[in-house]
Amino acid sequence: MDFFVILLMLLGALFFTGGSIGIIRFPDFFTRLHPAGKLDTMGLLFTMASCSLYNVNDFNLNNFLVSLKIIFIVAFIFITSPTATHAIADAGLRAGLVPWTKKR
Amino acid sequence: MKIIGIITILLSGSIMIYSTLDFPEWGDPLSPANTHLSVYYIENSMPDTSVPNIVTAILADYRSYDTMFETTVIFAAGLACFLLLRNFRKKKKEYSLYRHIPTGVTLKIKNSADLADDTKLFQRIDSTWVPFDLVTRTASGLIVPFIQIFALYVIAHGHHSPGGGFQGGVIFGAAFILFAISYSLRESLKIISEKTAVILSCVGVMIYAGTGLLCLLFGSNFLNYGSLAQILFTDPVSARSLAILFVEIGVGLAVAGVMIWLYYNISSSGKYNQGL
Repeated sequence: MDFFVILLMLLGALFFTGGSIGIIRFPDFFTRLHPAGKLDTMGLLFTMASCSLYNVNDFNLNNFLVSLKIIFIVAFIFITSPTATHAIADAGLRAGLVPWTKKR
Repeated sequence: MKIIGIITILLSGSIMIYSTLDFPEWGDPLSPANTHLSVYYIENSMPDTSVPNIVTAILADYRSYDTMFETTVIFAAGLACFLLLRNFRKKKKEYSLYRHIPTGVTLKIKNSADLADDTKLFQRIDSTWVPFDLVTRTASGLIVPFIQIFALYVIAHGHHSPGGGFQGGVIFGAAFILFAISYSLRESLKIISEKTAVILSCVGVMIYAGTGLLCLLFGSNFLNYGSLAQILFTDPVSARSLAILFVEIGVGLAVAGVMIWLYYNISSSGKYNQGL
């Protein structure tokens, strides 16, 4: 059990690290939104799954309900985070930001 | 005039800083607050009010005056924003933009004061109008009911967990603001009009003050909830717990109403005819 908890947590940390590096390293607004929206959502899935797994280590109804709430957090983030990224990218495009290309 | 203002600020600021020198040390276990007050709260809040969350017991019962006037301050902030921003003068607009829905062509019409906002074929739009966005609307339509339920949970569960009227009211207002952003100001004004928002916030403050007044009518001090046991058919301790719930509901209504009211005024700069 603990092995899976550590594995999931490390996987989540990997996704978060990738997201943070991407936000710094990518060249323009739209490409930066990509790691901010996608990798954070995925990293959250893994870290929260690890948390809920750790929480049900000694299984009873109370711990199970807390874990269920953690899973609910993931579900809501999966709805809201991509939507927010979509809305921000949409607003950027409407405001006239030109997507980055390698050669003009 | 500016110099007088600066001098006043400097003087009052230095007086405040000077007065902090008399304060007890940070975290001093022998200070009066830690030897008398905290001990009393920790030992007696459960037998006095039967509220497990000591913070709620202190805020809504022991220091109820403070919380009542905090609610009043929030209401006054909404009122100040309204008085500063609300534009009552109907300035004659030179033209309005109307969008023909089937073709998507936008028309600029002069002297459009007596034309309807929405018909089957035409729709009045703003200069910042954006086309219907399926993703944003569907997602916020999906998420808004859950946020509202969570807000009600936070208000009702303030006795047992962090939360209470202020937080729940803000979450409720934020849910409605999310709806107003993803749809439009006109759509949201159809659901909660300006009048409703104002009445909501006034009723919230009145519920709080009314609970206090009711205590006065049943023969105890203002906001001393124990005497409400006569009409709630319980012992004074559970009456305090119930009265804290009433007060939290009042605070929640007031804060939610003020949040929506502020959003209406700021997003349309007081004109209410267009905006997000």
